[in-house]
Amino acid sequence: MPIITISRGTLSGGQRTAECLAGALGYPCVGREILQEAARKVGVPVEDLSGKLEARPSLFARLTQERKRYLLAVQTALAEHGATGRLVYHGLAGQFLLRDLPGVLTARLIAPLEMRVRTLTSSHHRMTRKAAEEFVHNVDEERRRWVKLMYGADVEDPSLYDLTVNLESISLETACVIIAEAAAQPQYEVTDDVKKRLEDFATACREQLLQAGGG
Amino acid sequence: MPIISICRGTKSGGQAVAKCLAKQLRYPLVAREVVQEAASDLGVSEADLSRGMERTPRLWNRQSMERRLYIAAVRAALAEHVAGGDLIYHGRAGQVLLAGLPGVLKVRLIAPMGTRVKALMESDGMDSTSAEQYIRHVDGVRARWVRMMYGEDVEDPVLYNMVINLKTLSIPAACTIVTKAAEQPDFAVTDEVKARLIDFRLACRVKLGLARARDTRALNLQIEAHGGIVDVSGAAPALSSGKTGEQIVEVARSIQGVEEVRLRVEWFDPYP
Repeated sequence: MPIITISRGTLSGGQRTAECLAGALGYPCVGREILQEAARKVGVPVEDLSGKLEARPSLFARLTQERKRYLLAVQTALAEHGATGRLVYHGLAGQFLLRDLPGVLTARLIAPLEMRVRTLTSSHHRMTRKAAEEFVHNVDEERRRWVKLMYGADVEDPSLYDLTVNLESISLETACVIIAEAAAQPQYEVTDDVKKRLEDFATACREQLLQAGGG
Repeated sequence: MPIISICRGTKSGGQAVAKCLAKQLRYPLVAREVVQEAASDLGVSEADLSRGMERTPRLWNRQSMERRLYIAAVRAALAEHVAGGDLIYHGRAGQVLLAGLPGVLKVRLIAPMGTRVKALMESDGMDSTSAEQYIRHVDGVRARWVRMMYGEDVEDPVLYNMVINLKTLSIPAACTIVTKAAEQPDFAVTDEVKARLIDFRLACRVKLGLARARDTRALNLQIEAHGGIVDVSGAAPALSSGKTGEQIVEVARSIQGVEEVRLRVEWFDPYP
């Protein structure tokens, strides 16, 4: 079974699906904590790293070098986790950070706006409907622009993923079953060759990060 | 198990996946048949019906009436198959023709352009440039058609329950994944779902009946069925004869399975 990356908009049920998959496969599940590891690698507080990494596009030019190094640190931390081929990742840009590697299944979850807004207006968050809609819209928009700028791609484009699952009429449990079934297909088998490629990738990332002054 | 609707671009492997599913689940495979059935029902040729459906709309009432009739006939033909359940549909616009229906698993299959070009070169002996041109042309025609008819972007994943990319996954693998999804409780065909599919068939029959009848064919009305009760809504011109309402009811009541017609039409003055 391969590494599984889960991309999704905010409040689209990505984390719960990732946890369900990790539980079903007996894999570790990693999300935003990857940023902490990356921050340790470059010796800055995690807030600095995530702030600069996810900075508004208007600040991008000024931060280019630093951002590249931070992103490399994230990629290295992810590659190290993924070197065994056993991982469910639901953090930043998994579909790009592990692009073109064998033994990686990239999945995307989409959910109707209504469902996402409802989470925020529920008793737990107590947002007004308007504020909730604005919040979801803004986060989506920023993520879209970020991906466009960093990778020149549209984060919603299904051709970036092996599998896109729409949670409108599919439960999280079912999404978990479907993705696990995809991961069980022979195309994603982590053979010794694939494992070697994943290990080599982690090593290459570490070396690049060292050269860039981190790690 | 639900009805499975497969949408794909030309040479994206969708047809092979549909065939694999039909074999695995022992379901009938339906695609062009619905267009053929609609054409024979209306007494026109399949080519005429396809052309009429695809014609870009102009502000010309006769053409838009004809298109509405053709689409109603195709949808009604599909609804006849759908009401029986257990079906793989890989024809035109299943995701929009069957939108909102329960018990339907809507899947889109995509494949990288390079793979599609290679498939077309192998099957039709084309060179790579003309193969790519052809694929882009067909994709463009279909996308425009879905946008024109339904205002939707055929590539938008929101229209489907899942999108499978055949870049890494093989056709048998896609077939296995779709089968697994179809087995999940989210798509169970309960008695309630069955009743909805039968309601859908009745609504499609009524819509087709109205699109065919001389007195009602110019109207664009929404039809919903609940058991044998049919709700007709939408806006229609209040003509001086004052008989349009009666004519709608008469046409609808003549359709097999209709017990009662509830008219909820908003009448407007065509010559204000």
